[in-house]
Amino acid sequence: MYRASLSSHSVVIFPFLVAAALLLFALPFSLAAQKSALHLDGTPADPFLAASGKPVVLVFLRTDCPISNRYAPLIQQISSRYEAKVAFWLVYPSKTASATKIRQHEREYGYKLPALRDPQHALAAQAQVQVTPEVAVFDGNHRLVYHGRIDDLYQDFGHARSAATTHELDDAIQAALSGKTPPRNMPGVGCFIADLE
Amino acid sequence: MTLSCRSVVACLLGFSSIAGAVLAQQGGATAQPSPPGGQQVTFNRDIAPILFHYCAPCHHSGEAGPFPLLTYADAKARARQIAAITSTRFMPPWLPEPQELRFADELRLSAEQIALIQKWVEQEAVEGAAADLPPAPQFVPGWQLGQPDKIIEVEKPYTLAAGGSDMYWNFVFRTPVDRTRWLKAIEIRPGEKRVVHHANILVDRSQSARRQESQPGTGFAGMELKIESETFDPDSHFLFWKPGTVPKPEPEGMSLRLDKDTDLILNIHLQPSGKPEKIQPSLGLYFTDKPATLFPMLLQLENDRQLDIPPGEKRFLVTDEFTLPVDVDLLAIYPHAHYLGKDLQALATLPDGSTKTLIHISQWDLNWQAVYRYAAPVSLPKGTTISMRYTYDNSSENPVNPNDPPRRVVSGNRSSDEMAHLWLQVLPHASADSAFDPRMLLQEAMARHNVGKNPADFEAHYNFAAILQARGVSAEAIQQFEFAVRLRPQDATANNALGAALLAAGRIDDAISHLTAALETQPDNFDAHYNLANALASEDKFLEAIEHYRAAIRLHPDDANTEANLGSALAETGKLSEAKQHFERALRIDPHHKLARENLEQIARDLKNPQE
Repeated sequence: MYRASLSSHSVVIFPFLVAAALLLFALPFSLAAQKSALHLDGTPADPFLAASGKPVVLVFLRTDCPISNRYAPLIQQISSRYEAKVAFWLVYPSKTASATKIRQHEREYGYKLPALRDPQHALAAQAQVQVTPEVAVFDGNHRLVYHGRIDDLYQDFGHARSAATTHELDDAIQAALSGKTPPRNMPGVGCFIADLE
Repeated sequence: MTLSCRSVVACLLGFSSIAGAVLAQQGGATAQPSPPGGQQVTFNRDIAPILFHYCAPCHHSGEAGPFPLLTYADAKARARQIAAITSTRFMPPWLPEPQELRFADELRLSAEQIALIQKWVEQEAVEGAAADLPPAPQFVPGWQLGQPDKIIEVEKPYTLAAGGSDMYWNFVFRTPVDRTRWLKAIEIRPGEKRVVHHANILVDRSQSARRQESQPGTGFAGMELKIESETFDPDSHFLFWKPGTVPKPEPEGMSLRLDKDTDLILNIHLQPSGKPEKIQPSLGLYFTDKPATLFPMLLQLENDRQLDIPPGEKRFLVTDEFTLPVDVDLLAIYPHAHYLGKDLQALATLPDGSTKTLIHISQWDLNWQAVYRYAAPVSLPKGTTISMRYTYDNSSENPVNPNDPPRRVVSGNRSSDEMAHLWLQVLPHASADSAFDPRMLLQEAMARHNVGKNPADFEAHYNFAAILQARGVSAEAIQQFEFAVRLRPQDATANNALGAALLAAGRIDDAISHLTAALETQPDNFDAHYNLANALASEDKFLEAIEHYRAAIRLHPDDANTEANLGSALAETGKLSEAKQHFERALRIDPHHKLARENLEQIARDLKNPQE
């Protein structure tokens, strides 16, 4: 039983990739640091550290995912609404999305939020997200209270409603702030994070 | 005739070449060996041929696909996604179910191809041997048909907002021709292709749509639009763009007429991308000196009147049936509904009782609407009944239902309204009698059908009357125009048309009263001024006639007939030198204007012998 749970590709392949990276590039980080997310300047990042006592929202994006891109105005709008109360981070779970590419993407889509790179999917795993755009909402004690879609605009690939009828991200943030029951986790429609190495 | 939304594909290949091209493509795409059981599926050998043929035409730089799919790295970074969306058949986008009558450029993956992609991903999406990789497809950048003879770009770009729901925008292209030209192709470049879902051109020969612009050149919003035309000039070509469209020249003999003072209206469906997008489409015009010798025609089945869908209704049925009065070749088909459309079907029942499925879409998706061209023309003999059978889902289970909760939906032009349209491009078989245009008979049968279907529909009566008038069936035409005017007593176009028909039939007083009514509602109606002037002149009321000719000239300063008739009216009142100026102006506009020339000669004689 226990062994079977190790059959996921990411778990099996992961140590090998890290070892190879260390060997070839001799990066100045420890193994643990390498697994963590990075600021755009390349230093290890911990989005929870600076947000003591505050809820944290991680928004997972891909520069070339049309569905997550379409959400840019809404994400920016929701984050402005909770500006002082909640720490928002954009997370790019991709090795190939360079800092330059991410800065350009933020400019193009009008994002004014701090961004992180998550090349090893460490945050994606912690947040239990599968696709972009999914979000993870952590309460003030940094317990995961919601992960999944932002709203129900998309029912399936190519099937967008004219307007969303549920608003999970907004509801989850309010739940994290008030301690009330968060919405049920709902899977998002978008680009598979597991496809990104 | 009044037409609403349509479209398409600039073009059909020559028939024989269509069939050839399709066979070749299918051969290329389906002949790849599937590995025997247990063998490793590789990108280079098994997957690349599928992606190159079905995906890369849109998924390469500069095209509509949001990312390229040209290399192993491209595919690997999307592998699970590709497996998921091909298995649900969301991609490649191809709505029709498989059927006996084949379409050109079918973009449907076989079950084997889908299974192969699944297996590739399950086996960890390996690249395989370099030697197995077929050459990547080559795409021509820029204009696909070469440098156009003329490029027209919209004057003012439209900026699509970063967010919000889908947008439908119409651009008005002023066409740059000073005389009638023939087009062998129009290539549509819709602007930022990643946000344009589809686009189609409507030919606006009377420049009626531009009235909806707030300022000249700005364009205007709207999903569907109506184009007016007062002559017998049925639409003939689908001028349609969708992602991946490769423009093709019109088949030999089917060139498209472009007159002076014609607008081309580009109707575009846009989907916000998350950032503001500037949309500035352009059209490439390719001229030919060969006028059309074959005259296809667009037939429309519809039943918008039946559309009254209660909230919650899951299978609301709308039908229409039309029997062909002549033999035709069916070239292309374009089904159209909005967001509640679910199962769209068209069937032909031949005189021998046999049936053919013309198209069947079981999961309608407005986002991927398209014109479907047949791989080879479908011969449908006189007496064939074409039936349209559409069902609509107005329940909350329809994820794209624009209303939450569902509410009653009727027909209309907004995206939250519905439509039930089926357009067919047919080429009537040539008639032995060269003076007889089989399109007239088709148009008349269609109009008669529409009047029967919608007896209280103004446009049905108006269109039927216009065809009868064009065919010279004057008494019945007047009767139908009268029905139209009774339904809309204020309508200037209908009053003018009825007035003109009455005038032609010699009923001058009745004509004058309807032409006057037309001008009461629309004082700047050129046709009504011109017709009223003619009516008054025929009753020797020349002074009044002169006023209306002058008004008509103020509206259209370059109309030779109006100039010549004004000259005649002036001459009748003895103002010979002023009359002479107008005959001369008529001849400058049209050097072959017979009446102007004869009258000018008459004036020369009168001026020489003033006593006579």
